[in-house]
Amino acid sequence: MKRALITGITGQDGSFLAEFLLERGYEVFGLARRESWFRPNNASHLGDRVKVLFGDMSEGTDISSALQDAQPDEIYNLASQSRPGESWVRAPETLMINGMGAIRLFEAMRHGCPKARVYHASSSEMFGQTKCIPQKEETPFNPANPYAAAKVYAHQIVRIYRESYGLFIASGILFNHESERRPLHFVTQKIAYGAACAALGIKNSTDLNERGHPIVADGRLSLGNLDVARDWGHAIDFVRAMWLILQQERPDDFVVGTGKLHTLRQLCEAAYGRVDLNWQDHVVSDPSLVRPLETGQTLADASKARRLLNWEPSVSFEEMVSKMVDAQIVRLKSTLSGRK
Amino acid sequence: MKVALITGITGQDGSYLAEFLLAKGYEVHGIKRRASSFNTQRIDHIYEDPHDPHPKLKLHYGDLTDTSNLNRILQEVQPDEVYNLGAQSHVAVSFESPEYTADVDGIGALRLLEGIRFLGLEKKTRFYQASTSELYGLVQETPQKETTPFYPRSPYAVAKLYAYWITVNYREAYGLYACNGILFNHESSRRGETFVTRKITRGLANIAQGLEQCLYMGNIDALRDWGHAKDYIEMQWLMLQQEKPDDFVIATGVQYSIRSFINKTAKLLGIELAWEGKGASEQGRVIDITRDNAPAVKVGDVIVKIDPRYFRPAEVETLLGDPSKAKEKLGWVPKITLDEMIEEMVAHDLDKAKQHALLKNEGFKVSVGRE
Repeated sequence: MKRALITGITGQDGSFLAEFLLERGYEVFGLARRESWFRPNNASHLGDRVKVLFGDMSEGTDISSALQDAQPDEIYNLASQSRPGESWVRAPETLMINGMGAIRLFEAMRHGCPKARVYHASSSEMFGQTKCIPQKEETPFNPANPYAAAKVYAHQIVRIYRESYGLFIASGILFNHESERRPLHFVTQKIAYGAACAALGIKNSTDLNERGHPIVADGRLSLGNLDVARDWGHAIDFVRAMWLILQQERPDDFVVGTGKLHTLRQLCEAAYGRVDLNWQDHVVSDPSLVRPLETGQTLADASKARRLLNWEPSVSFEEMVSKMVDAQIVRLKSTLSGRK
Repeated sequence: MKVALITGITGQDGSYLAEFLLAKGYEVHGIKRRASSFNTQRIDHIYEDPHDPHPKLKLHYGDLTDTSNLNRILQEVQPDEVYNLGAQSHVAVSFESPEYTADVDGIGALRLLEGIRFLGLEKKTRFYQASTSELYGLVQETPQKETTPFYPRSPYAVAKLYAYWITVNYREAYGLYACNGILFNHESSRRGETFVTRKITRGLANIAQGLEQCLYMGNIDALRDWGHAKDYIEMQWLMLQQEKPDDFVIATGVQYSIRSFINKTAKLLGIELAWEGKGASEQGRVIDITRDNAPAVKVGDVIVKIDPRYFRPAEVETLLGDPSKAKEKLGWVPKITLDEMIEEMVAHDLDKAKQHALLKNEGFKVSVGRE
């Protein structure tokens, strides 16, 4: 039986990946911070099916002992400070976790279990303000926020460790991938939530945004720049790509994305359309939510992943948005009835 | 009077820059780390009596890993210009200490930028980030210019790449006057003893004077673009005097191999070398002696050998800069040639070696520092 260790198991990707690996008969270990494990999280429902090791990516000793306990064949490094917008006010911490966390893991692996295979989560944010559209593995990076700069750092470290020490460390340059499990501070989930509130007639939401205000206030959902365009897929397709990347003969980097571009405007249209409403009656653009520097158009050219991994996305943009809105409606209904 | 803050003031570049700025009438502040031995040899000659009530050069204890310390120094000094030259600057060491290198070289730059912003100095303070040709690593085009894509090959280079991007990000997001100088290799007689050029001039001078027997090298076919540090620090200052902040490649545009650096050094010491063997068993043998600087060396001696210990896990084979943009926009051209620079370095190291040899010959115990 193969053994896998997932860092960031309580997150969206970590929990989907854990399910995916469990279905394939893996023994799954997760590295999680105590405080994220002991509150409701995306992996809570997995219960005893996964073995949780407590630790923090900022502690080298936590990582070494997790590797010692798990003795993994495969390591999936998904843990990160995952909010690009917020990285402007948490810049040092973002590099500590997303960048130096990778070094700590690779160093621990190099000494503790050099035969293991490592998947590292790189991000389309690394392309940032690039003028090259679409982006593939060789496209030069042009990071436009501290999150992206930290991801570039880790991505280069992946390559350096691979080239310098011959370790099996591979990466997926994942474009945006969403799901019902996205936390509410991600814009896609905010929109799904906003559409669900509108459908249920909720004018002032109980859930708050990162600034402590109701996400929906006076029947309005406030967003930043609506012209932002992204390549969005469903996370369930992306965790399959992670696994495929580690089943190759040689470690390599792969761009993973749907190759389809949509704006936030279109996402709003799809979400509110799901509940037969006109998004323009419910969404406003608030200039104070616009990031200091915007990432440009990120659009994946995933031809290498298609060719070598035989990877294709299975969930369409519309399906993904519908699933997210439906899930928010179920969730909100249950909280409403719970309150009664 | 302008006020400058230099991190890494005790290093090669920091010491030249401090001299340069003092000559321009700046008040200069520098950050030095606490160490158990004195680490200010390079600036001792410009350091004034700290009991002077109005010193022009002031040193502060500090560390690029210590945020509150940096913030306090920034607040106290209120600098017009910050030169971030402090770094764990050794490529090979960065493979041994990657985390520390990231903390100092990557987050260190970020801590300063954040400090400037946090203290509301973003309109006043101009920021220079010491970027490096190591960013180009496995070069994607030759020669390398500002638009060449990066391909770092060491934890040092990646940490510097992070600092490069975060400097660009802060400039674009917050309108900070922040510049990257992408400096190709620059050397001098003040270069640290473990860097390849200084290792060669110092090692061969010691051998010439009988203090060491053999110089052990890594990849001697690596090609580098070497300039003199003194030329390069002038450009660091120029970059902060422009109307708009920008990034510049600073290089000579001429390339030599490490092997030819060794040959040139040997020749200045009056030693003619011939190379024999291949790869890790290649060695440099003395075939002629033309001056009296090398009394300890005889024809036939093998004085250079390869030690694979010095091969890097991932080599950077070639670096060659295209300094056209700096020439055009800053009016900058390097003045000191490679030969002049090696001459200066050899003269300095030969002088030191002669001092040591004299002591040794008089029966005093002499130990020469080694890596």
